Amino acid sequence: MSNATMSAQWEAAPEPEAIAESEHPKGRKPRRRNRGYAEVGARIFSFRNIAVVLLVAYFAVFLAYPIIKAFAGSLHDWNPLVGTYEWVGFDNFRQILTDRLFWDSMWHTAVFCTVATVFRVVLGLGFALLLSSRLVRFKDTLRGLFYMPTITPLVAVSFVWMWMFDPQFGMIDRVTGLDINWLHDPKWALPAIILMTIWKDFGYATVLYLAGIMNLPSDVYEAAAIDGANGVQTFFHITVPLLKSTTLFIVITSLISYLQAYVQMLVMTDGGPGTSTYTISYLIFDQAFQKYNFGVASAMSVVLFLFTGVLTIIMFKVSGDTEGLS
Amino acid sequence: MNRAKTRVTVAGVILTVLLFIAALITIVPFIWMLLSSFAPNSEIVKVTGGLFPAPTTVDNYVAIQERFDFLRLFGNSLFIAIVKTVIIIYTSAVLGFVFAKMRFRGRNLLFGLVMSTMMVPWAVTIIPQYEMMTRFGWLDSYASLIVPGMLSAFGVFLFRQSITGIPDELIEAAKLDGASDFRIFHRIILPMSRNTIAALAIFTFLWNWEDYLWPFLMISDEKKQLLAVGLKQFNGQYGTDYGGLFAATSLAIVPVIIIYVIFQKQFIAGIASGSGK
Repeated sequence: MSNATMSAQWEAAPEPEAIAESEHPKGRKPRRRNRGYAEVGARIFSFRNIAVVLLVAYFAVFLAYPIIKAFAGSLHDWNPLVGTYEWVGFDNFRQILTDRLFWDSMWHTAVFCTVATVFRVVLGLGFALLLSSRLVRFKDTLRGLFYMPTITPLVAVSFVWMWMFDPQFGMIDRVTGLDINWLHDPKWALPAIILMTIWKDFGYATVLYLAGIMNLPSDVYEAAAIDGANGVQTFFHITVPLLKSTTLFIVITSLISYLQAYVQMLVMTDGGPGTSTYTISYLIFDQAFQKYNFGVASAMSVVLFLFTGVLTIIMFKVSGDTEGLS
Repeated sequence: MNRAKTRVTVAGVILTVLLFIAALITIVPFIWMLLSSFAPNSEIVKVTGGLFPAPTTVDNYVAIQERFDFLRLFGNSLFIAIVKTVIIIYTSAVLGFVFAKMRFRGRNLLFGLVMSTMMVPWAVTIIPQYEMMTRFGWLDSYASLIVPGMLSAFGVFLFRQSITGIPDELIEAAKLDGASDFRIFHRIILPMSRNTIAALAIFTFLWNWEDYLWPFLMISDEKKQLLAVGLKQFNGQYGTDYGGLFAATSLAIVPVIIIYVIFQKQFIAGIASGSGK
């Protein structure tokens, strides 16, 4: 940003007006002639100030307050149905940390996040590389088709896949010839949900990688070709490192959103069969809005929050790239 | 020479065909859903015969309308999603402009704060917000759906990225002509942000169209309910009416795909310009 913009923003400096006047000799009046209250008012109620104040106020009410309230609530026995809100210290945390279901859910979440993120990155990069090949035609159409699942509503798509997995008339078993009752088998329910999630989300990574590949400097590749590097070497030593910030962006946004995933489980399995598809966010939904244990649910959400924060910081540290997101 | 050229062409054709097969596999669930929505139940659950049921009837659509008034749910969702999309695009553009082109104390800190909210899980804020809405007496009113969701950190981020790319000279020139920030925003910044608007519009529309938990918690009046929640309720009540379920689901998916196909070009350009770069 140039210095001129800054100063013009800060002070309603007299110079711009003088210039404005001299540049418009045909009697077009400069905007602000009378200094005084109007001017001071215009400066206080400037576009910028109004926007910033509204932003801060809005965040205070709908974000800062709820976060504080969630932390406070995690230290209380809190049930809105019975009307209790009593201080219990760290009892809620002690309860969840010794709860088998909590750790099971954490494990399911870890599997779900890892597998879905890895496949999203690998498939995304793979299809992006193929699509960026000079040989391929109808690129726009192909890209549009791959991206389609990403822009469809998750609730509806979860229903479609629930029927895709149906052992009687579902497509999956009929096409593959397998005889698996996917969503009702504790062994297969989580893999089925992960499969559906990968299908829905890989297009997002494909589009981001395509953009990344388009911005790669071509001279590096020419140099590599002159040095006699083969395709595999070029890929691992040039393409992958140069796409690091795109990869970091995809991995972080994927992890954050997969840690919070609950719709697939809610629609397709209700956490079942048994508790085999309980993830941390589904467990919180269950505790909060089916059992109305607001205190316990808040404690879990605090754990999830800290977990997400730590994970994000580690990702940035490991990659050594603190500007990946900006 | 000619031979090499032919080989490259053949490779290109093969690669293109393979990619089209992969793309077709990707959209098979949609095709299956759409065809099934026009088939009677007996045809859908038939074990023998082809993979895709033959589309022969519109009865499923008529039935869900009669039983569940799906058009009303559809209209409600459309209204909420459009209102919120317009509001979010406007607030994101304003804040994107402020963060990209204006200087004030604590700007970077505030922007960092806005960005860090993307990391806050819904599970943290939803219980206090639920309580807040109850206390405001906003349950069963659309205020509860619209007011807490008027800002989008993701939107602010996208707009800041794209507005940073607008040359300062342009804004300077407008200022010298006596244009106010308000005018500059509406006459220069907004028109130049078309790709970002398209990208954010589709995403925001989708996110609000598919949002399940919040309307489920806020709205209990059937007449005011939204499509995503209605879909799950329909499934709960008519779990074996597969034809009806396919029709209802198609109604929930097809409009979004149509919007996407129309804005595809600007949309993908907008996403690509805003992320990770």
